[in-house]
Amino acid sequence: MKQALSALAGAIALAISLIASPVMAQDGSIVVYNAQHESLTNAWVEGFTKETGIKVTVRHGGDSDFSNQIVAEGAASPADVFLTENSPAMVLVESSGLFAPVDADTLAQIPKEYQPASGKWVGIAARSTVFAYNKTKLSAEQLPKSLLELADPSWKGRWAASPSGADFQAIVSALLQLRGEAATADWLKAMKENFTAYKGNSTVMKAVNAGEVDGGVIYHYYYYGDQAKTGENSRNVGLHYFKNKDPGAFVSVSGGGVLASSKHPKEAQAFLKWVTGKRGQDVLKTGNSFEYAVGKGAESNPALVPLADLQAPKVDATTLNSRKVTDLMTAAGLL
Amino acid sequence: MSFLELTDVHKHYGPVAALAGVDLSVASGSRTAIVGPSGCGKTTLLRLIAGFEAPDRGRIVLDGEVLANGGAAVPAYRRGIGVVAQDGALFPHLSIAANIGFGMRHHQDKRSERIVELAYIVGLDKAILKRRPHELSGGQQQRVALARAMAMKPRLMLLDEPFSALDTGLRASMRKAVAELLETAGITTILVTHDQAEALSFASQVAVMRDGKFSQVGTPRELYLKPKDRMVAEFLGDAIILPAKIADGFASSPLGRIAVDSTERRDLVRIMLRPEQVLLKRTSREGMSGTPDMLFGEVMDAEFAGSMCTIAVRLMNSPDPPDAAAIGNTPLVLRKPGMDTPVVGEIVRLTVSGKAHVFA
Amino acid sequence: MLPAAELARSPTGMAAGHWTRRQPISWISLAAILVSLFSLLPLAFIIWIAVQTGGETVSSLVFRPRVGELLVNTLLLVVLAVPICIVLSVALAWLTERSDLPGARLWAWLSVAPLAVPAFVHSYAWITLVPGLHGLWAGVLVSVVAYLPFLYLPVAAALRRLDPALEDAAAAVGLGPWRVFRRVVLPQLRLAICGGSLLVGLHLLAEYGLYVFIRFDTFTTAIVDQFQSTFNGPAANMLAAVLVTCCFVLLGIEVLVRGEERYARVGSGAARQQQRTRLGRATIPCLALPVLTALLALGVPFVTIGRWLVAGGADVWRLDEIGLALGQTLFLALAGALLATIAAMPMAWISIRAPGPLQRLLEGCNYIVGSLPGVVVALALVTITVRIALPLYQTLFTILVAYALMFLPRALISLRASIAQAPVELERAAASLGRSPLKALWSTTIRLSAPGAAAGMALVALGIMNELTATQMLAPNGTRTLAMAFWAHSGEIDYASAAPYALIMVAMSLPLTWLLYVQSKRMAGR
Repeated sequence: MKQALSALAGAIALAISLIASPVMAQDGSIVVYNAQHESLTNAWVEGFTKETGIKVTVRHGGDSDFSNQIVAEGAASPADVFLTENSPAMVLVESSGLFAPVDADTLAQIPKEYQPASGKWVGIAARSTVFAYNKTKLSAEQLPKSLLELADPSWKGRWAASPSGADFQAIVSALLQLRGEAATADWLKAMKENFTAYKGNSTVMKAVNAGEVDGGVIYHYYYYGDQAKTGENSRNVGLHYFKNKDPGAFVSVSGGGVLASSKHPKEAQAFLKWVTGKRGQDVLKTGNSFEYAVGKGAESNPALVPLADLQAPKVDATTLNSRKVTDLMTAAGLL
Repeated sequence: MSFLELTDVHKHYGPVAALAGVDLSVASGSRTAIVGPSGCGKTTLLRLIAGFEAPDRGRIVLDGEVLANGGAAVPAYRRGIGVVAQDGALFPHLSIAANIGFGMRHHQDKRSERIVELAYIVGLDKAILKRRPHELSGGQQQRVALARAMAMKPRLMLLDEPFSALDTGLRASMRKAVAELLETAGITTILVTHDQAEALSFASQVAVMRDGKFSQVGTPRELYLKPKDRMVAEFLGDAIILPAKIADGFASSPLGRIAVDSTERRDLVRIMLRPEQVLLKRTSREGMSGTPDMLFGEVMDAEFAGSMCTIAVRLMNSPDPPDAAAIGNTPLVLRKPGMDTPVVGEIVRLTVSGKAHVFA
Repeated sequence: MLPAAELARSPTGMAAGHWTRRQPISWISLAAILVSLFSLLPLAFIIWIAVQTGGETVSSLVFRPRVGELLVNTLLLVVLAVPICIVLSVALAWLTERSDLPGARLWAWLSVAPLAVPAFVHSYAWITLVPGLHGLWAGVLVSVVAYLPFLYLPVAAALRRLDPALEDAAAAVGLGPWRVFRRVVLPQLRLAICGGSLLVGLHLLAEYGLYVFIRFDTFTTAIVDQFQSTFNGPAANMLAAVLVTCCFVLLGIEVLVRGEERYARVGSGAARQQQRTRLGRATIPCLALPVLTALLALGVPFVTIGRWLVAGGADVWRLDEIGLALGQTLFLALAGALLATIAAMPMAWISIRAPGPLQRLLEGCNYIVGSLPGVVVALALVTITVRIALPLYQTLFTILVAYALMFLPRALISLRASIAQAPVELERAAASLGRSPLKALWSTTIRLSAPGAAAGMALVALGIMNELTATQMLAPNGTRTLAMAFWAHSGEIDYASAAPYALIMVAMSLPLTWLLYVQSKRMAGR
């Protein structure tokens, strides 16, 4: 009986040690926590691996869960690189001291306005807030002049958003920085009354297209992406840019960073350099992502309204507070 | 005047004929037993009378009311016929009291008193009423089923092998109790069973069924002693069938000269004796000598089984029968009291009491 | 992974001490106790987090309007969907089992087959058909369509098992057909209805994907939202605590309604074959019910998937991607099923061979954990591994443990039934022939219970194959199951690319559903 017991214990220990290692990631490769669109990151990874031979394992998720996850994982995080869609997630990881400094030549590829002064992470792409509206339901003069107008009772039941997504939460974080906590809390409270919740920006646009709501607050590229495919979810959709430095004209910077805990810092830095470099930024211009390129001298897709024409408000990406935003939204009953 | 009248009742299940023309007449207040081997159609007949199924052809008339005429049938719940099924079919989700009162109206006067009374009538203790069916013994379950059926004051009571799940001792006493109970209540009863002893002791009229038809209907005595054919004879009990020549009320048979219940004169007939008519007396080889009229046999096998024993006897000096080969060396098998079991090899003297029955 | 000291302190640990006197069983009961303690981890962690978070924060997170909103949504969903499921399943079961409905066998199978379609695929199909579908009534509609088989299966099996003699007896004492149904048939279906309703209710509480498509917020969707916004923050954990409370309330209600009653057939002898009621002129209207159900529950998903496949053409069949997802899904499903079955074995053995208070306690633990939504189990395991057992974080081990915890009851039920059929005498005979207790167990009971174990594994595999939330939260880096791929594509409104995954999930689930159907028929003795 004793022998059987020790044999069993041995077998269990062996089995655990075998399956306890994250088998699905191969040795010498890097792990990317990717909150960007899968297709975009897959294109980057494909190009990078082809060029360098470095294998990349991608875990897909969202900005907020990954940033919080990395903080929870701390020094033991299996991730080497973190890519986001928006800045607040980057700020959260940076403030926990978990990023390694980005290589200087990588930083040099991106204009100062798209990176924090700390140099702990770097912008990799950008997207603009838009009000996507149904062209058959709203005329040009009926469009809201400001994001804040959507809090007006006249908009009750007429607009949509995806509050659980990091995209919308980034827009709220910009609002928080631009107008302060009290104004933001009030706006969120009014939003809870007025808006219809959908899951995901594509779904919001689909609902707008179908006329379920008059309009929705999303990012610009969902529209172009759908137009490039069949256009069946955006046929009736028009994009309204708030401009005038309105909080609704917020341009969100997608970030990339290398984790201090990375076991393969060289490969991780190489990946970030590739993404922010010529070929990486070219993917944004030629691919189907329709996000803005941010590299020095890099061009965005010609179909887009040029970044410079958006009259975006000046927002300090390094102080966008994601935790405060989720707390405010939880308090408003949006989460 | 018959109370229940069945005329030419037929029932098929697919190509199988379960009932192939049944006629039956039941007198009011009487007890009728329908007996037959399993699969003979007796349960089907009962289900037709109860109204669970409709006959393909034939009429069922109860007390002047036509219950079924061909496919047109009064549904079971409008017939007022009580049924006690093989295992009682008590509702497992209801207490005993609720089971007994199931057919009563809820606001019926003195409902609970009536339930207690019925329980008393069938011999159940009052304390049992709060229990659930699975807490009861088989006999108690049957009593509950009977009380439940009696609660609706049925015109006719159908008992579908109600005693077969009980053990031997209990079966006999239950049978007697139920018979007396129904007698007192004056309820006409039909019992379906495959147990011939049960049928014979319970009923005033017995119908032997085979292959969807009645072979014979009559009083228990009639059927037992004067069965119409070998099948009926053997179904109702052990039978010794012998070839014989009859004349003047006597038969010459392998068992010698035996009185028969027929006065006709025929050369080749079959006669039947019940084994209890053959008496054995222990003797010895010496005792055989000088008694040519007497019949002797040798005990080939004797199996002791407590109160009874089974004895196989080979006839030693059978008189020349009409076709001796038929009986030849086949021993007679007799069941006798176990008190005085002979041993193998012993010589016994055989005598026949009463008359043998001559098959038509 | 509880420290030994804690094990000794727990009430079950005390029971173990009492147990060791019976030598040969102690081994297995020890294993069963370990499994049960392990399975209590998610629950323990929710309590632990609540304590850690502190009373004030907890109450501010629990007693807020949003939670009330979710509570109302979730309650309304259960209160509306479950009774509709009960009525429909009883009607369908009666028609397919007890009437002469033409093609009854076909309709019976078609009433079970929707199980092969994952709930979120049902929703995906409906949202394609009616793009604006949303809210409570949409939730009720799709939930009923997706979960009806959970009630149909036990109700049909119970109807098949009913002794027709009872109905005859009721008719003989003067009850008409409707009253026979109400007073005799329906009460006997109570156990089946209770069990099935509990199953449906728990699924309604746990389902995520279905309600996301049609924009209906329940606790589970809110927990996932919180998880996506804050990872394992206290808000998510407190929502989970409320959800767990809801599950307990459901379990409690079921125990109360079910009561202590016994519905087995009383008496001996074989039950007579049931008669089927002639529908006569009602046949055509009665036929409408199964036809309509099949159209809604099978027609809609199949037509939708077909439509998207046609629209997507050859482009959506990215075979390398699909092949990888298929391979990973199969691997996870098989490994998880194996682990769940092994973990269930000691418990199943005890419940047949040594039933008693300990066994009931342990079994209760496992059923409670099995009834927890995947999102709760996953959240707890994320927290546990991140905070305490970091080497196990994001490993195959952890996701398999989650599967085992979630689907243990499925394995347990099948195993128990098959062990019950392996007579203990064989085990004793093996022991008397010189085998050690473990070897005796292996060479007799385990061998004989293999078919039941296989059926249980199939059920667990079916659950894992269509699992979404826990897989997303716990899977190792680089994992992409069919359900995850389907979800990613449909999340970007690329319904055409999601269609092949939906088709493969349904195609793989169909044989397992057939197995379930056949098994339920066999258990009812036909």
